[in-house]
Amino acid sequence: MGRQQGWFALILALTIASGALLANYGLQLGLDLRGGSQLTLQVMPAGAITRVDTEQLEAVKDVLERRINGLGVAESTLQAVGSDQLVLQLPGEQDPSQAARVLGSTALLEFRAQKPGTEQEMQGLLGLKRQAESVLRSKRPPSALDDPTATPPPPPASLSAEDLAKALTSLGIKVPAGASEVDQLELLLRETNRRILALYGPPLITGKDLTSAGRQQQATGTGWEVTLGFNREGGEKFAALTQSIAGTSRVLGIVLDGRSISEASVGEQFKVAGITGGSASITGNFSAEEARDLEVQLRGGSLPLPVKIVEVRTVGPSLGAENIRSSLVAGLSGLALVAVFMAVVYRLPGMVAVVALSLYAVFNLAIYALIPVTLTLPGIAGFILSMGMAVDANVLIFERIKEELRAGNTLIRSIDTGFSLALSSIIDGHVTGLISCAALFFLGTGLVKGFAVTLAIGLLLSLFTALTCTRTLLRLLMSYPGLRRPTYFLPARQLPPVRSGAASAGAA
Amino acid sequence: MTAMTSVPSPRFRINRHRRLAWLGSGLACGLSLLGLALCWLNPAIHAPLRPGLDFTGGTQVQVERDCAPCKPVTPVEVREGLSRLTLPSPEGERAPSLGSASVQVLDSGRSLLLRLPALDADQSTALIDDLGERFGPLRSSGTSVNTIGPTLGSRLLRGSLISLLVSFVAISVYISFSYSGIFAVLALLCLAHDVLITCGLFAWLGLLQGIEVDSLFAVSLITIAGYSVNDTVVVYDRIREQRRNLADLPMVDQVDVAVDATLTRSLYTSFTTLLPLVALIFFGGSTLFWFAVALTVGIAVGSWSSIGLAPTLLPVFSKR
Repeated sequence: MGRQQGWFALILALTIASGALLANYGLQLGLDLRGGSQLTLQVMPAGAITRVDTEQLEAVKDVLERRINGLGVAESTLQAVGSDQLVLQLPGEQDPSQAARVLGSTALLEFRAQKPGTEQEMQGLLGLKRQAESVLRSKRPPSALDDPTATPPPPPASLSAEDLAKALTSLGIKVPAGASEVDQLELLLRETNRRILALYGPPLITGKDLTSAGRQQQATGTGWEVTLGFNREGGEKFAALTQSIAGTSRVLGIVLDGRSISEASVGEQFKVAGITGGSASITGNFSAEEARDLEVQLRGGSLPLPVKIVEVRTVGPSLGAENIRSSLVAGLSGLALVAVFMAVVYRLPGMVAVVALSLYAVFNLAIYALIPVTLTLPGIAGFILSMGMAVDANVLIFERIKEELRAGNTLIRSIDTGFSLALSSIIDGHVTGLISCAALFFLGTGLVKGFAVTLAIGLLLSLFTALTCTRTLLRLLMSYPGLRRPTYFLPARQLPPVRSGAASAGAA
Repeated sequence: MTAMTSVPSPRFRINRHRRLAWLGSGLACGLSLLGLALCWLNPAIHAPLRPGLDFTGGTQVQVERDCAPCKPVTPVEVREGLSRLTLPSPEGERAPSLGSASVQVLDSGRSLLLRLPALDADQSTALIDDLGERFGPLRSSGTSVNTIGPTLGSRLLRGSLISLLVSFVAISVYISFSYSGIFAVLALLCLAHDVLITCGLFAWLGLLQGIEVDSLFAVSLITIAGYSVNDTVVVYDRIREQRRNLADLPMVDQVDVAVDATLTRSLYTSFTTLLPLVALIFFGGSTLFWFAVALTVGIAVGSWSSIGLAPTLLPVFSKR
């Protein structure tokens, strides 16, 4: 009996520990259960790098983490998946489109000086660019993200269809048939941008030279500007750069991700020392939203490799809440029915099994909290399957016990034989299950992995509960003579007629 | 251990009904194959099962209107507005055209489900704003946007197929060692039977009801495979035992005794596993409905094949 009590003490200790674990840590629910959005970012190889390795992935992740912190979204997680993907989870009602905009671009900022002797060409190009931009801006539907307090942009400088066609041909652009006005304007913008970039010298200052970034409303005009603070070296370079073009009609180009976002001329008064003080601002006619996005990007630094957003999944929180509630209700009512069924069919051991299976569920949840396992819908499927197998193990044992009782064995002996005979089938079933778990875990992706983890935990625990918990509890009950009745195990009519020898044989 | 000396006479002899069992399973498999083939030949589907967003890629937008009762909307109305909408597009790219969108109106006009080509964040925001203007107000908590790259679905599919195949091989190695090769082959045959019939049902559902399969369906197939093997192995364990206890009898009788002895257990186990699943079908959320259906069918079929198929085929193939 001493060994039984040892086991019983262990089970009791585990139950208390599990309860404490669950009370302190709680369960992590996947986004499909609590609502939120999930963005999958694919890191793209670029330049000399043809394959993304872990180190580069980590470098990208660092930058993105800084940007996410800058955005101030709550409780978000960014995880590396495989060798070249990152998954960002935003729980709750947070707008994934802003995160997508801020995370998706490389944010490589460059300061370049215009090459000498290109003044006239630049002026023409800039004129065209301004016109096309303002016409385009007016064509776009006002987005809800725009600052509602901002005054609407001034009416666009008109650009007639004729002028547009002339501009396009002057730049040597062939317009595909059927292109809309917006398409044509975008073609024009792209070409002017390409030509403007060609007139710039090499990048002299980059985002690496920045120490801070901020934003403020423009003193004149309606838009926002992004302010920059340089480190010492950057400040010196900026002074030298501005000095070199001060007083000329050449411009300082600020290029973001290969797009010239701002072209500024430097006044005569900076001829001597350049613009000193280590700060600058970009007045690109930003909306409040755009200025904030750029500020966050510049603070986080530019990405070492470009990323592409390949997946955005959003589940409204109410959808998630409804899911979890109805699944919980359904699952629990199903399990309650299973408990009733076990108690009715298997009587006393059935009730023991219900206790053992309840412990099983508690242990399972405790391990989820401990590891921690994030519970998702496939995870719940794995749990249900392992629950089914745990019940199966008990059914196998009890059926064997019944068989032994029907064959005329004594109660205690039937219980022992029942457990040992059922063992091989239980182990075979669980081992095959664990084999598939291993394959699914190591070779499967996201969803399948979650399933494999919960199923494997469930199978291992089920072996433990069926072979220890059920057995220990049953043995403990059998130490009370009042409970040692075969009719507590199966109906009296299934028992063989009592023979006088059977009872004494069992005691041996 | 057991003291069974007399030859037990099973109440239920599965091998007496084996032709019927084979006929039933054969018919079900044939129908399933037919469904898969018809799906494949259907120009609108062109795959054995109607693939959902997870496998085709694209954007799915669901919005919930905040109104009671709601003004009725037809899919045609929604689509008309979409074709007029100009979406913002990133520099150097053209905004996808929405003419090919599929629109479903659910819950008697309360929610709209749109299937579109892949949109980026700005584009889907613009689309939802437009829907809000035309059919709003919308409940922001009922809005869901999913964008899936087409490579992700194929990655998932390939990952699950490879892992399934590897686990099949590993399981058959295990069964070959603890039983014999023929047991392993038949266990895998049963597994294929269970997965095939579940797929067949969803092929027919895809053809007749437009039901699509998603990544949860792939998970349910893996679950069914796991259950099927577990169920079969327990019956095998009994057959192995009877082959020792009743070594003098022909295998058909050994199998009959083993199946009869495990019959109660097999039925009870399926019953207890099906209970929570059936509860999920009737009371679970809409997202889990088809998942629960797939699991229920697969587990019922899996239970059937472990009673009626693997044990009855065993004597046939072991004769030689």
